[in-house]
Amino acid sequence: MTSGAIAWRPAGTQRAAAPVLPRSARADALPRRRGAIRIADAVKYYGTGESRVLAVDHCSLDIAAGEVFVVIGPSGCGKTTLLNALAGFHSLDAGSIHLDGELLCGPGREKAPIGADRIVVFQNGALFPWKTVLENVAFGPAMRGTIPRTELLERARRRLAEAGLQGYEESYPGETSSGVKRRVEIVRALMNDPAVLLLDEPFRALDALTKAMMHEALIASYLRTGSTVFFITHDIEEAVFLGSRVAIMTSRPCRPKKILSIDIPYPRGRETVTSRRFRELVAEAMAAVHEEALKAYALGEKEG
Amino acid sequence: MPEPSARTQLLRATLGNVPGLGDLSSDAVDSIVLAAEEGETEDGQLVYGGTEIVTHLYVVRAGRVRLERAGSAAERTRWAGSGETFGWHTLTGIRGERATSDGATTLLRIPERALLQALASAPLRREQLRASVGGRAGAIGARAKTSSEAQASRIFRAMVDRAFQWFRSPAPYRRLLGYALFFGGWYLTVEAWALPHFDRLPGITEVVHEWLSKDPTFGLSVYTPEYYAHIGSSLRRVGIAFSLATALGVPVGLALGSSTTFREYVFPVFELLRPVPIPAWIPLAILVFSGAEAPIVFLTFLASFFATALNTFLGVRSIDPKYVLAARCLGASPWQVFRHIVVPGALPFVLTGLQISVGVAWFSIAAAEMCSGQLGLGYVINTSYTEVKFPTIVIGMLTLGILGFATSALVRLVGERLVVWRARELSMERP
Amino acid sequence: MVNSAVAGVAESGARPRSTIGILRLPRAQRRALVSYLAALLVWQLGSTSGRWLGVELPLLGRIPAPSDVLGAWSHLIVDPGYWQSWLASSKRVAAGFTAAVLTGVPLGLIMALSPPVWDVVFPVFELLRPIPPLAWVPAAIIFWPTQELSIDAVIFIGAFFTLVLNAVSGARSIDPRLIQVARSMGASRANILTRLVLPAVLPSVVVGMEVSIGITWEVVVAAEMISGGGSSRGASSGGGLGFFIWNSYVGGSYPQIIVGMISIGIAGYLSSAALRVVAARLSRWNAPYGGRA
Repeated sequence: MTSGAIAWRPAGTQRAAAPVLPRSARADALPRRRGAIRIADAVKYYGTGESRVLAVDHCSLDIAAGEVFVVIGPSGCGKTTLLNALAGFHSLDAGSIHLDGELLCGPGREKAPIGADRIVVFQNGALFPWKTVLENVAFGPAMRGTIPRTELLERARRRLAEAGLQGYEESYPGETSSGVKRRVEIVRALMNDPAVLLLDEPFRALDALTKAMMHEALIASYLRTGSTVFFITHDIEEAVFLGSRVAIMTSRPCRPKKILSIDIPYPRGRETVTSRRFRELVAEAMAAVHEEALKAYALGEKEG
Repeated sequence: MPEPSARTQLLRATLGNVPGLGDLSSDAVDSIVLAAEEGETEDGQLVYGGTEIVTHLYVVRAGRVRLERAGSAAERTRWAGSGETFGWHTLTGIRGERATSDGATTLLRIPERALLQALASAPLRREQLRASVGGRAGAIGARAKTSSEAQASRIFRAMVDRAFQWFRSPAPYRRLLGYALFFGGWYLTVEAWALPHFDRLPGITEVVHEWLSKDPTFGLSVYTPEYYAHIGSSLRRVGIAFSLATALGVPVGLALGSSTTFREYVFPVFELLRPVPIPAWIPLAILVFSGAEAPIVFLTFLASFFATALNTFLGVRSIDPKYVLAARCLGASPWQVFRHIVVPGALPFVLTGLQISVGVAWFSIAAAEMCSGQLGLGYVINTSYTEVKFPTIVIGMLTLGILGFATSALVRLVGERLVVWRARELSMERP
Repeated sequence: MVNSAVAGVAESGARPRSTIGILRLPRAQRRALVSYLAALLVWQLGSTSGRWLGVELPLLGRIPAPSDVLGAWSHLIVDPGYWQSWLASSKRVAAGFTAAVLTGVPLGLIMALSPPVWDVVFPVFELLRPIPPLAWVPAAIIFWPTQELSIDAVIFIGAFFTLVLNAVSGARSIDPRLIQVARSMGASRANILTRLVLPAVLPSVVVGMEVSIGITWEVVVAAEMISGGGSSRGASSGGGLGFFIWNSYVGGSYPQIIVGMISIGIAGYLSSAALRVVAARLSRWNAPYGGRA
């Protein structure tokens, strides 16, 4: 009888190749430059008293306006905490966050205000089930009264068509597939021209085919609007494919361990995935992530 | 169109062979694939020993695994070959199993959490439900498929959206059998055989005869105007009480759910009064309200109000906070959140609450009318008893039943109109 | 919770405590206390408005005053007849409810798991269900030899339908795929029953029981009023709190009515609490594979 542990590894799905982006999207034609985020020495505890856990420990990040900043790390390491603090859902115990030079949260202001300049796309989807797709997409400007109604509906229809979703306007979210729902949610967010788009593992539950389409859709939208994108994911290849910079975070407490600059120009397509530079970057990222994953495993992290 | 990697396809195929997991949607299968791990073993290598409780599901990709269970009545050795599964002791309750690989193997290992999540996220489609009903009992009893089970799989059309609504059983013979047993039993025990105690009850022929006769012995039938006077009276009271209860109960429920201040001040008193059974209020109501109508309407109103307010409150509470957060991210003010998120989101619960409210209203009306008042079906039942007009009792009971059912169905239909999105969502077959 | 989401997602963290006065309770409890006191005040002032205001307020004015109620209660506490009423009602509730659980739950399970049984039983079930339980009282009185049994029968009917429905709903929520997987791996029938079927059914049954116990109390009170007080068959029905309330009304001792109402409320609350304890006991060995109930 041979003893000895079995080496388990993820039953890897190789990433499906991404389709080619439309020619009209030009890498350097970013229309706007705002949404610069500066996170300085952020600290966040969960729980109180003796059993409290340090989730984020003096984490500092500088995110340039208009870039796609992807955050990767082992589960439960506090990445979502940063996103929540940015969005205004949680407060920070110490440290500060500035957006375009103005204080979002920090000394004197415990929580950032929730507002349409930093819009979140939720992991499990938050399209309002009782409103049609069109009503959902038009929701933000409709609530804030920034655009007159007829113009708003027209613009919404156009945006939906640009995203390849014409024909879905009068459907309810419950009647559509998850891929469609995701795209609608991104359109809904971008209708408001946010300075920052926050995405917390939005494509996690999608299958490989749909995911590939979502990447395409996200990049196309990003190239049109130029919002800063703050994206959290587990998928290393997704991160390197989407991001202009990828931050690999340490296991709890959360701190950037390594930041990779992805020097592959936008738009990125099918050929990107097989290019040598892409593979090099993925390998580099994987090595760093693997180290942290082992540490997290040793700590007994469970899937959050 | 990009293709899923060969690996994914292989994994999907392997999973597809696992009994029970074969007909999962591709979304669900992919989520399992994401969580799966692979490993190779050598000949004789121990996969897991006898002491640990295995929470993973193991699938054999290639090779064979020997499973031994010591200590049971027969020391059994099972084998799991290619495509077969083992492990997951927390599901099967098996303890003390030992798995060793027989020759080199490739194994897949899936944590139970991923499986349970995948199953929970992929509700069964209707045809599967149909087939599985027979399968459920059959699986437990492990009986060979009988003709009745084959019939069962054909028959069943579940309404997946509600617990108990109208169930159309396309097996009319069985339904007739049910009615026949009931009415036949009634007839036999009361009239034909006249069993002790049963013989004092009004028989079915008596009741039907009385109900449909032009000149009823006890004065109440479908041809007498008094019958409709009583129906009208009960119906009117229920109508007024229900409307008032809805008009008051829904706003109160919404307020309880959305405003912490309101809730902390009002809910304690609400919860103090609610457990008092409605019949216990009867004497107080008679004391406080003058006349014969007001107490009855008040009591019915009270019962409906509590049901409506509570269910509306629960409806608001059940709204996933992520919708509120999303709305606020998009720039909605608190009032807009209330109007566009809270109210529509709570609506399904409110409508369920209204159905309950109607049912409760009839319950209360029966009680209230039986204790006081001069008109109404409850009154009819009570006086028929005291005046020894037994068949009329049954007429009253059946009329109440019919009215209760009809009003409840009406509320439900109106509700379905209002909440179209929900009906559409629930009736969608998953792709 | 929507409240906290509207105000800002709640986080962990110590809440600052009030240092004002003796009320160092958390805010929710303080406000509850304020409401109770306010309600009590309104009641007292309103019900005695005839005396101190000179004119009786329309509805409130006729309610017996809290002070009178308290007085009546102090007399009743030492009156054995009062406690006998408690006992009588509780016995009926226990009898009818237990009978309903023991017949309703198994029936519901069988109906859900066996389509033939379902097809035969359900139509008749749905025919009888909309009839209010109290409407059965005269029929029950006619049929059963003793008044006691007839009240128990009506209570049984009240609780029965809800329990069956909830048992069915629980049985429906069992994911048959889990059963298939378990069987293919050699789990025995007994294992499947204990690990899959019962845990799936239990939450629904518990909910059904909690709802039914409420209905049971409603029916008990009404049945006692009707059979004891409403019928002209004679007043010696064996008491019970419902009868006590009705009697108090008929006899003109109005504060006692409120005592009775409060007593029933307390009794109902106690039985629900007892149920919850039993439910907690049962769920202790509940495996984590409950269905979607």
